[in-house]
Amino acid sequence: MELYELNLNDVIEGLKAKRFSPSELYASCKQRIDTCEPNIHAFITRTDDTQPQTGNDGGIFAGVPTVLKDNLCTKGIRTTAASRILGDWKPPYDATAWKYLREAGAVLMGKVNMDEFAMGSTCGNSAFGPTHNPHDISRVPGGSSGGSAAAVSAGYVPFSLGSDTGGSIRQPASFCGVYGFKPTYGMVSRYGLISYGSSLDQIGPFARTVRDLQLVMSVLAQYDPMDSSCFREKNPDFTHREDVSLKGKRVALVKEFQDFTLDAPIAEAMTRTRKVLEDEGAIIAEVSLPVVARYAVACYYALAMSEAHTNLERYDGVRYGYTVTDAAGVKEMFERVRSYGFGSEVKSRIIAGTCLTEPSRCDEYYVAATKVRTLIAQEFARAFGETDYILQPVTPSLPHRIGEEDEDEMKVYETDLYTLPVNLAGLPGLSFFTGYAGNLPVGLQLIGPRWSDSGLLDAGVILERHLGSPKIANGGI
Amino acid sequence: MSELTFTPVIGIEIHIRLKTDTKIFCSCSTNPESPANTNICPVCMGLPGSLPRLNHNVVEKGMLAGLALNCSVQPKSLFFRKSYFYPDLPKGHQISQCDLPVVADGYIEVHDADGNLKKIRVNHLHLEEDAASMHHSASDGRLEGAATSYVDYNRAGMPLGEIVSEPDISSAQEAVEYAMNLQRRVRYAGASDADLDKGMMRFDANVSLKCSDGRWGRKVEVKNMNSFRALERAIEFEIKRQKKILLSGGEVLQETRHWNDAKGVTSASRVKEFYRKFIVEPDLPPLIVNQEWIDRVTAMMPEMPDVRANRYVNDMGLPRDVAEVITDDKNLADYFESCVKAGANPVRAAHWVRTEVLRVLNERGQKIDAFTVKPEVLAGLVSRVDDRKLSTTQGKEVFDYMCANGAGLEDAVKALGITEGGVAGNALNDIIAAVIAANPDVLEEIKSGKDKKGKKLKFLQGLVMKETKGQAKPQEVAEAIAKALE
Repeated sequence: MELYELNLNDVIEGLKAKRFSPSELYASCKQRIDTCEPNIHAFITRTDDTQPQTGNDGGIFAGVPTVLKDNLCTKGIRTTAASRILGDWKPPYDATAWKYLREAGAVLMGKVNMDEFAMGSTCGNSAFGPTHNPHDISRVPGGSSGGSAAAVSAGYVPFSLGSDTGGSIRQPASFCGVYGFKPTYGMVSRYGLISYGSSLDQIGPFARTVRDLQLVMSVLAQYDPMDSSCFREKNPDFTHREDVSLKGKRVALVKEFQDFTLDAPIAEAMTRTRKVLEDEGAIIAEVSLPVVARYAVACYYALAMSEAHTNLERYDGVRYGYTVTDAAGVKEMFERVRSYGFGSEVKSRIIAGTCLTEPSRCDEYYVAATKVRTLIAQEFARAFGETDYILQPVTPSLPHRIGEEDEDEMKVYETDLYTLPVNLAGLPGLSFFTGYAGNLPVGLQLIGPRWSDSGLLDAGVILERHLGSPKIANGGI
Repeated sequence: MSELTFTPVIGIEIHIRLKTDTKIFCSCSTNPESPANTNICPVCMGLPGSLPRLNHNVVEKGMLAGLALNCSVQPKSLFFRKSYFYPDLPKGHQISQCDLPVVADGYIEVHDADGNLKKIRVNHLHLEEDAASMHHSASDGRLEGAATSYVDYNRAGMPLGEIVSEPDISSAQEAVEYAMNLQRRVRYAGASDADLDKGMMRFDANVSLKCSDGRWGRKVEVKNMNSFRALERAIEFEIKRQKKILLSGGEVLQETRHWNDAKGVTSASRVKEFYRKFIVEPDLPPLIVNQEWIDRVTAMMPEMPDVRANRYVNDMGLPRDVAEVITDDKNLADYFESCVKAGANPVRAAHWVRTEVLRVLNERGQKIDAFTVKPEVLAGLVSRVDDRKLSTTQGKEVFDYMCANGAGLEDAVKALGITEGGVAGNALNDIIAAVIAANPDVLEEIKSGKDKKGKKLKFLQGLVMKETKGQAKPQEVAEAIAKALE
């Protein structure tokens, strides 16, 4: 077994026991990246050309390589959000989530690909070209955190960070056959995460075991005064325990989703997972989420685009990033910078957001969406009075081939129905591995009430025990 | 047909810089003296990934300003994003409370044309961030057409309170009194220095005219007034301009006009009004102010100038005009009260403060906080003059000496060679004896009876007065000399 194949907990244990050195581990990961990267194209910026600088030799992640989605600010290291508009911008500060990891000793291998400003679900809307799925390089890795998922799936690094605004961690985790966790909104500081939809964005980890997710969460989930939406309670306990049980726990399926069609392997995974839960002593129930089923997609896009277009107003070429020096005036400068700097998906969302908040129709769309969002949160709160967890797919279909995106954009949006209500209600969601359909992994999703993150991961540990852990993808080799 | 009359309907928006050490959404310094672009950080530069966090001192100053305008604190308020593109706006939107402010529903009193008190309602005060300041190389100081423009982000994120009045103002004079009164009150509350020269207070006015024939002109927003004089002139100009239009049967356009102080005119803004839209600021939770916080801030509120002036008139017997002059500046009023507390007679102390202290401050262009004569010292001086230990003239000499040399009361008296209470009794007799001894010929003349007209006696009296440095009473000197000559 090569060192790059080790899971996070095994890596830490091995380093601690001095079975191998940080530089041996580093070299192994680097070798793996060099081998697979031409096929996968996960990186936007590699930082593994020089010897690693470990932030803290005594930290729990001392010497552990990782990669970050390129919308997380890294001091002095190019951060692009996969957009031309940021140019070669090097932030003067670290995102809090990365600062915590760096202080724990993690070593940065690079910044990885994503859909521009996290807008997309294929990792194809990137100014740096698409990333490929390590299980089948003709297919998409999912998005927007496709690079983060692919890097862990292909064995580049034992864990990575992404962000999830409407499924951007859970969907690529599912497509790439790894575990991905979207924490409760407010659990992880967003300071230094380049905003898409501020009230929906949340940073979370990817790893190849649930136990590894727990370890990363124990470092990420700390109060940060720099983010006013960050929680102020005492840090939750993400300690891994083997003696957890689902006996007597209620796990519900969503009534309104039962009529929707799923790809056969996903439907089969639902059945298998349900059986595992029943065998573990869980009670399978049903909850009704009529408002979610009917309005969540429209509500989500109205809010996400309204927030996004104001978040993207700062990119004007005046202070940083791409700019022009020969514009005739400031208006022309803004126009040229933004016309060239933003990709088409970003532009269409800016236009949509501008229209949705335009004074004459703001009440009808943006304000209405904020009200619907409250109803959705209330509906989930009521549902979680009747059940402990909700089990549902991440997507209705397996990863499609690159370039075969659905022509009907509205349908692409609808495939997000399983993921984005979770963001609207600020809930934690775990995307977990259930097995393979041919060479493609199949993932599902377990959702809990707000702040149930550690319990949700405990449940994930049990599911992993029965369903098995994923193996490292062949990476196109 | 009777002649048409017009009633101006005016509302004013005033921005004040709230007095805090750090900016509204980050911990950068608000020092206005710092070199350009040194008080900046990822937050106030609007760097990608940065998030605002509310400075609670700003909220407190906003509450103090609101309470000074008789507003009530709102238990829950929100922040919004106000979008427009301009190089001085780092995020492309300004974070502002807009219509859900932290304080609302107050008033300020002004005098109407007949001299009667009239309430101008304050709709609200909301918190917001300032934009950066820009410097253009164009001759007219504007962005369009400038070859080069410089942006100083030190000002970006400075805390502002925007105070919006109801359209209760009927003249430029009322507008100015409203603004001055507001300035005095927020300064009293310690909410803002409201220094016009430093751009800490800026005015916009909404002016429309109501015609006696029932027509009501549209609202015109006049911007760019940075002094009380400019506010007054701009409103007067706008009233005249609109009146002329309405008289000629024309229609006043709803527009934003720019006050040109040099030319003394308003002109339609060349730049089209920015297209603005508001969404809730998702990075800031609603601002919740609980009763405990309101109580704490309310307890911090000092007595307001009008209440204080009334107290001086009613309890201390000060004339109204003196009371108003003294209460115009809180520190001056505090100085006066310290004088009184140290034992000075209030009316006399007020007189000294108003005439002498203010004279010296004006001469020096100083503020009372920089004044070197401590109120207790002034109180001592006032008391001595009151007790006739010093004449009024001597008192003023002593005061000037203390101001000029930073000396204490005793030292000043000594340095000026003043004998308190004047020269009399034995001291006077000794001087007389000495003068007589030094002038035996004069004595001889008087004694021989040649001094028929008393000229020589007068001469002696003069010498004695000179020796006492004028501190003896002439009557007493004459009597004592007569006695000595017996």
